Amino acid sequence: MNFMTTITTTTIVKRRKKKSQFVMVWERLKQNRLAVAGLVILSVIVLAAIFANLLFDYEAMAVRQNASIRLNPPSSEHWLGTDEVGRDILARIVFGARISLPVAFATILIAAVIGGLLGAIAGYGSRTADNIIMRIMDMFLAIPSTLLAIAIVATLGSSIRNLLIAIAVSNIPPFARIIRSSVITIRNEEFIEAAQAIGANDRRIIFKHILPNAMAPMIVQATMCIAGSVLSIASLSFLGLGIQPPTPEWGSMLSNGRQYIRVAWWVCTFPGIAIMLTILSLNLLGDGLRDALDPKLKN
Amino acid sequence: MENLLEIKNLTVEYHTQGEIVHAVNGLSLNLRQGESLGLVGETGAGKTTTALSILQLVADPPGKIMGGEIFFDGVDLLKTKKSLLRSVRGNKISMIFQDPMTSLNPVYSVGFQIAEVIQLHENCSKEEARRKAEEMLEMVGIPKERYEEYPHQFSGGMKQRVVIAMSVACSPQIILADEPTTALDVTIQAQVLELMNDLKEKLHTSLLLITHDLGVVAQVCDRVAIMYSGEIVEQGTIPEVFDHPAHPYTIGLFGSIPTLSMESTKLTPIEGQMPDPTELPAGCNFSPRCPYARAECHSKKPGVTRIPGEATHELRCFALGWEQPDETLMEVIKRGR
Amino acid sequence: MADNILEVKHLKKYFKTNRGTLHAVDDVNFSIRKGETLGLVGESGCGKSTIGRLILGLHSATSGEILFNGQDICKADAQQMHDLRRQMQIIFQDPFSSLNPRMSISEIIGEPLIIHKMVSSRAELDKRVLELMDVVGLSQRLENSYPHELDGGRRQRVGIARALSLTPQFIMCDEPVSSLDVSIQAQVLNLLKDLQAEFGLTYLFITHDLSVVKYFSDKIAVMYLGQLVETSASDELFRNTLHPYSQALLSAIPEPRAHHKMQRVKLTGELTSPINPEPGCRFAKRCLYAAPYCTGQDPTLQDFGDNHFCACFRAEELRKEAAGIEE
Repeated sequence: MNFMTTITTTTIVKRRKKKSQFVMVWERLKQNRLAVAGLVILSVIVLAAIFANLLFDYEAMAVRQNASIRLNPPSSEHWLGTDEVGRDILARIVFGARISLPVAFATILIAAVIGGLLGAIAGYGSRTADNIIMRIMDMFLAIPSTLLAIAIVATLGSSIRNLLIAIAVSNIPPFARIIRSSVITIRNEEFIEAAQAIGANDRRIIFKHILPNAMAPMIVQATMCIAGSVLSIASLSFLGLGIQPPTPEWGSMLSNGRQYIRVAWWVCTFPGIAIMLTILSLNLLGDGLRDALDPKLKN
Repeated sequence: MENLLEIKNLTVEYHTQGEIVHAVNGLSLNLRQGESLGLVGETGAGKTTTALSILQLVADPPGKIMGGEIFFDGVDLLKTKKSLLRSVRGNKISMIFQDPMTSLNPVYSVGFQIAEVIQLHENCSKEEARRKAEEMLEMVGIPKERYEEYPHQFSGGMKQRVVIAMSVACSPQIILADEPTTALDVTIQAQVLELMNDLKEKLHTSLLLITHDLGVVAQVCDRVAIMYSGEIVEQGTIPEVFDHPAHPYTIGLFGSIPTLSMESTKLTPIEGQMPDPTELPAGCNFSPRCPYARAECHSKKPGVTRIPGEATHELRCFALGWEQPDETLMEVIKRGR
Repeated sequence: MADNILEVKHLKKYFKTNRGTLHAVDDVNFSIRKGETLGLVGESGCGKSTIGRLILGLHSATSGEILFNGQDICKADAQQMHDLRRQMQIIFQDPFSSLNPRMSISEIIGEPLIIHKMVSSRAELDKRVLELMDVVGLSQRLENSYPHELDGGRRQRVGIARALSLTPQFIMCDEPVSSLDVSIQAQVLNLLKDLQAEFGLTYLFITHDLSVVKYFSDKIAVMYLGQLVETSASDELFRNTLHPYSQALLSAIPEPRAHHKMQRVKLTGELTSPINPEPGCRFAKRCLYAAPYCTGQDPTLQDFGDNHFCACFRAEELRKEAAGIEE
């Protein structure tokens, strides 16, 4: 049966230009005002962090102590004021973003890859594998994540690397859960059966059919988790287990400024606002992405 | 007989980002006391929106009732107060939804759910409500011993019986049934249809049955209205419409369904798809798919005309008024089914 | 027979559940000849879809044989199964969930060609995909659309094009039109019929709708709770319905005619559970004609002439009774 060659396709119709998934997601995201706002705020913070060196002199403004200008309120010279040893708060916030954001992104990347892999194995593999992996995850979930991170940092000592490991480990279980449940849902969809019926092997089914459909909850979870991660870094530093002074970090700035809140409100307020804005923008973006990534939702 | 429900020129739109979906376009319909009317149409024809508009349950936003009047017992429901509307809902007009699985609350026993409806609308004691609820269960063929059981202990057909019992519990004047048997197997569907026929005779309730299945309508209804793109294109009694369908869409619909009594080996489907409800054609909504359409059909909207010689058979089509009639169409209408 | 493309022998599929063993398919036998259509009819939960999945190797059978052109599917290894899949395909009931929402129409139709290495270049792939879209009546401009942008009828056409892409001999249609609108249903049924005539396809047509089956099939098998209760040529079955369940199924269909009210429903109760069934006729509990001897032992398919088989202890008796009344 060689019927296909006998049919001629001479009619040339104006074809729709192919739009990639990325462009489609972007077009839908653009229509969500809150998500765009989140994206704009986040971009400002990221850009400021990247070009921090052009904006401020790290040594002079963020590290060097200058007793003559300690606890100055916001002024035209120091927009957000100075702290208890005379360092510029705006500069420290901008340089602080250089720690918080990369560490947060890195932890989530690690957690997403490991958690995603474990979740995919649990969801698509045998029952035994599923049981083993998920019971271990349950154990981790039973311990509060901050407590777990504190324990890890306390054991391994406080450094940026250990902070990264601690936060990544405590973020793996939620990823594994989410990916597992979406893989299980997708595995039972008819199009997976259809793929099996045309002879696709397991690898093709996982990478071509299951994972692309499981990406949406994963990306959404990631944006939400980055926010949590920023907060975790800040909390650990606040407790003195994260970034060590004099390196500027939002959590430790908040912690230090706490003592002066009655005389100099700006010292802890502005780092707090920075944390809040970052988390808010990430959450807005995450919400927007969730809607934009669902191909079934038109417009 | 007087009209119990009268819908005049109902127009409903859905406003979604930058687009206007014309769901119902100037629909007029009436339902008499004790009569059952079948509203037939395909997905997106606006059947469910029409039913929801009667009880004003159209989700707003995005839905908006743009105009028209819905008279129930002489009162325009679209202009009446919220409190009056609430007393009409469930009490005088009740609704049966398509999916019996989702219209029952899984955490309450079925008996309790029926009793609750009765208590809510009739201001009676708990014991009385329970007694009445048990009566209702028996009436739809469920032994009252199952009063305390929960929805998950019932099969699909049984659940739909419970939903029906709930809807007739307050002896409503009108039941709006939206595809009540679509989710059921054929043998179960037959049982439920028989039950509905029995209840209808016993209770003298008017029924507006929404369905896509012409067979179901033939079994249950007295009259039928065929809907296409938010308009009624043909209506009349069952014999009028089923024996001599006159609108090209209705003719096409009958040609599309394989039936047991059919001898031919090839179906004659309607070509093409329903028009996009955001961009309705300038002329008759069916004109792009109509094999008999002429220039007039593409530019002007046809009005409603009564078919000469028939008592209630109405049509929204130009073809009967043409000076030079379409021979084939006339032949098809005359031949009937 | 040599011209049987598919033969199913003593096929069984049991599922273990918490409440016991579910006999989804219980000792089913049938065969389909090349170029023919067999309609497999039954209500939800009767095991008709499970049979389809077993034939395509999507489930593995508990016991029994499925011979496809003489080769036993149940014993095929992975490589043999891969090759077999080129010859048999499936069209699913739900065109919404059977297409991957993240793949474009051309990717979906082209995927089987890539998997089975049936094209050597990108250009050839594109050409074949467009040809297939032409065959099933899909406009070429939809090539780069995604499934959610199409309506049900067009989506089902995509599913059909995907099934056709490997030029199979046999296609299993699992309720291919039951989720479509009436006017679209007819378009798709006609398309399937035209394709059968054009390419000499063999269909196994699984459905709950006897009127669709009458229009579509050469042979019909009626299934109840995992077992076949009646098989026959299509016209014969409608002329001379033997099994009480088939009769009930027929009488339950609401005919779209005026002056043609439904006959008395010959069924009471609902589908019983196929979990740990007791021996005896599974329909007996709902059957109007059930006699004491209907339970206790399983009825088998008996030959009533003209290739008409029926599994009912009282079929002969009831037939004579009915004939007597008519005379």
